[in-house]
Order: sequence, then C-alpha cells, then structure tokens
Amino acid sequence: MSSEIYDIGYRHYDGPRLGPGHSTRALAVHSLRGVFGLGRTARSKIMPFSLAAVMLLPAIVSIAMMAMMGRRGMPYSGFAVFMQPVLAIFLASQAPTVVAPDLRFRVLPLYLSRPVTITQYVGAKVAAMTAAMSLLVAAPVTLIYVGELVIDLDGPPQTKEYLGALVTGLLLSLLLSSVGLAIASLTPRRGLGVASVIAVYLLSSASVPIVYSTLASTGNDAGARWAWLLNPFWLVDAVQVWLFGTTPNAEGEYPAGPYCGLVVVALIAVGLAALALRYRKAASR
Amino acid sequence: MMNTVVAGITYRALLGRRRIVLLLLLPLALLGLALLLRLAGSADQRSAMLLMDKFAIGTMLPLLGLIAGTGVIAPEIDDGTIIHLMSKPISRPVIAQTKFLVAASLLAVFAAVPTYLAAWLLVGTEDGIASGFALGALVAGVAYAAVFLLLGVVTRHAVTVGIIYALVWESLVGGFVQGARKFSIQQWAQSIADQISTSPFLQADVTLGFAVPALVIATVAAVFLAGRRLRAYSLTGDE
Repeated sequence: MSSEIYDIGYRHYDGPRLGPGHSTRALAVHSLRGVFGLGRTARSKIMPFSLAAVMLLPAIVSIAMMAMMGRRGMPYSGFAVFMQPVLAIFLASQAPTVVAPDLRFRVLPLYLSRPVTITQYVGAKVAAMTAAMSLLVAAPVTLIYVGELVIDLDGPPQTKEYLGALVTGLLLSLLLSSVGLAIASLTPRRGLGVASVIAVYLLSSASVPIVYSTLASTGNDAGARWAWLLNPFWLVDAVQVWLFGTTPNAEGEYPAGPYCGLVVVALIAVGLAALALRYRKAASR
Repeated sequence: MMNTVVAGITYRALLGRRRIVLLLLLPLALLGLALLLRLAGSADQRSAMLLMDKFAIGTMLPLLGLIAGTGVIAPEIDDGTIIHLMSKPISRPVIAQTKFLVAASLLAVFAAVPTYLAAWLLVGTEDGIASGFALGALVAGVAYAAVFLLLGVVTRHAVTVGIIYALVWESLVGGFVQGARKFSIQQWAQSIADQISTSPFLQADVTLGFAVPALVIATVAAVFLAGRRLRAYSLTGDE
C-alpha cells in the first residue's frame, strides 16, 4: 500500500469505494440541483422556478379549455415551439450557472485529480442540463395528458402524440444543452455567458423570417424551406414531423426529414466536441 | 461630469476581451443579411423595413444595449473589483454617468452606424429610411444603455431581467397588447424613425409627442437612480 511510505497515524478510509460511475452521477445530480438553485441562496431559485411556472401556464389554459369547452387547446407537438422564448431564456440564464463557477474559480484540476475524466465531467454537465430542460418540456405536456385522460374527451386519447412530444422534447433538450453549454463555457463570467447564449438564439430566430421571405420572393421555394432549420426549435420540429408524422408548426413545409435529423446530430456532435476541447484546455491551466 | 480614467478602464474592459466578439457579431450579422437581401435581388423598401424593424431595432439593438449597458458595470460588481473604484475620491454619480457615456458611445458605434449602413445597402438614401432608423437606433441605444446600466447596479440577474424585458415585454406582449407598446424603447425608436422617414411602409404606433419625453425621462431617471444606488452600495458575496 502506498500509505506505508509516510504514515503519520491518521485513520484510513475503509468504507466502500463506489467507482467512477457514482462520481459522474453525483456530479450530474449536483449540477442538476444547481440549475434549479437547490442548495443555493433563495435569490438564485427565483429565476428558474418562475420560468418553470410560466411553462406550466399554457398547460393550465389547455386543461381549462378541454374541461369547459370540450376541445383541445395546444397540440402536444407544438408545445415546445410555441414556448420557445421561455425555453431559450431558461437555457441562457441557467447554462452559465452549470459551467461558469468551476471555470471562474479554477477548480477543474481538483475535479480531475479524482478518478473523473474530462469526458465524464462534460457528460455529467450535459446530462444535468438536458434533464433540466426536458423536465421543463415534459412536466406541462404530461399535465395536459393527465388532464385529457381525466376529462375524457370524445375520441381516443392522443397517446402517440404525447409520447412523440416527450421524445422530441428530450432530443431538443440535448441539442440546446450541448450547444448552449458549449457557448456558455467560452467565458467564465455569468452575465456574458447569458448574453452570448441568448444572442446566438436571437440571431438564429430573427434571421429566419428575413431569409425565408427573401428566398420565397425570388421563387426559390425549395431553398426557402431550409430557412426554418436556422432556428433550433423548428429544426427539431422538422425531425418530429419526420419521425412521428405530426403536422408542421411552421407556415409551410420543412425539407426532407432525414436531412434535418442529420443536421441535429451534427450540431450535437459539434457542441460536445467544442465542450471537450474547451475543458481539455481549461484543465491544463 | 465624467472621469476620463474611469472611462478608459471601462473601454478597455469592454473592448479588450472576448466581449468585443459579441459586440461585433451582431452588427456583422445585420450587414450580412443586408448583403444577402441585396444579392438575392430583393433590395426594396419592404424588405429594408422588415430587416430594420425585425432585426436591427427588434433584435440587435436591445441585445447590444444589454451587453454594453450591463457590461460596463456588472462584471466589476460580480468580481468585487468595483470596491477599488468606489473607494477612490470620485463621486459615485460621476462614476455612473461615466459608465453610461461609455455604454452610449459604444452603442452609437456598434448599433447606429451599422443600422445606417445596412439600410443604405438596401435602399440608399431613399425616403430618409437609413437616416431615420440610424437616428432612432442612436437615441434608443442611449436609453437602453441607461436603463440596462441601472439594471446592472440593481440586480445580479441584470442580463436575464433585461432579456425578459426585451423579448417578452417588447416583442411578445407588445405584439398582442396595444397599450404595452407605449412603454417600449423599441417603439419609441420607431416613432423617431417614422418622423424622419417619409416611407409609406413605416407606421409608428406611438406618437412623437409621447416618445421623445419618454426617452428623455427614461434616460435621465435611470442614470440618476443608478448614481443614487451606487452612493449607498453594499457589497454582497457571490452566491
């Protein structure tokens, strides 16, 4: 045993050693709690919980519509697209809290001195942010579904649409988290991280109508369809249309589904690779 | 009413780091879109209006206002290095005014000038569209700088609160509720642009008689309040 070299008589740790899986899981749970401000000051809980509450509002309106008027409100497939400003603000305001403190206080070497590799660290952070985002999508959608079952509308419940919305929500969360965390990790300052993430989202979403109308007015309809894919929410909606056969939530059609799926996978890969490179550099400082 | 040393430090903090990438990214995207529209052969007043309204005034200006307005003071408060500044014999309102002037000048360079260039690329000097929107962006940029500076002093979540104001209040609520547009800096910019431009495509919702006093009051009050808030400032630890 290495402890024999310089044993000054402290008691040794003789409890169970849980291995790298447990440390990754602990890091992920810690980060997930951090996203919602659990275990931190009351001030840092205000923002995530009020945004989560705003996400629930349309669900309550939807249930009220089903109960009182007997017709559906928002379709399951359109929930994330409709609520995209709130999701984008949540991503922007909370992604820096996941990555910024560790970079700012330069504690990364401390993490990596344990049996945690960069891959596991990045994986835990992305998993935590993905879980938080998909929770934000899944909770209101599930609430609507439960409401639908309880109210018992005419016709069968839209179970397939509901499950499709859950899967798409997970894919959307993975895309947003990997790209959002990669952007946020470029700066150790929280405010600047929030601004960069929201700037990239707004750039992409605000350029969609301009690019679309330009291409459509010149008669290039096939090219104009690709404009929707500039915005991540419509990009994932296009994948949902392809996988689950839902109606598109954009005005007009999307390009063929497999290409959209490829774009999503490529973007996630780019985000994860950027994160891994960023942390490799941060760890060596 | 400004301190050149404080101004120099603030300029260096904003332009010397990665923040300048963000400050450059947005105007470059605007010019890129203007070029794209021109190359696609749809450089007319309608598309110029779409670009100015949706992108220049609706997206770029509030974002730049947020980055510059909170960027001049929030990082220093976050770090705690503001204490070195506040412990010097400089009046706190002067610190706030200096930071405001720095943010306003950056917005003039990074928002108003590209706005003019983008509009000029599309329609030249036709109907005063370019100069109207440039002046609107300039004046609204000054107001954004003041308001977001105040936010940066008041709350640690300045950027998030600012985004919620710009995205939810000005864009979403303003899109549905007529009354909300009266209290939106973007709409005040539109009124000023409408006053100068004679283009039939531009219709402002807020009268100039409301917009100009509102801009002046918002700017002066925000800088004044930021100065007052700095006078009795208590540093709190990071969360």
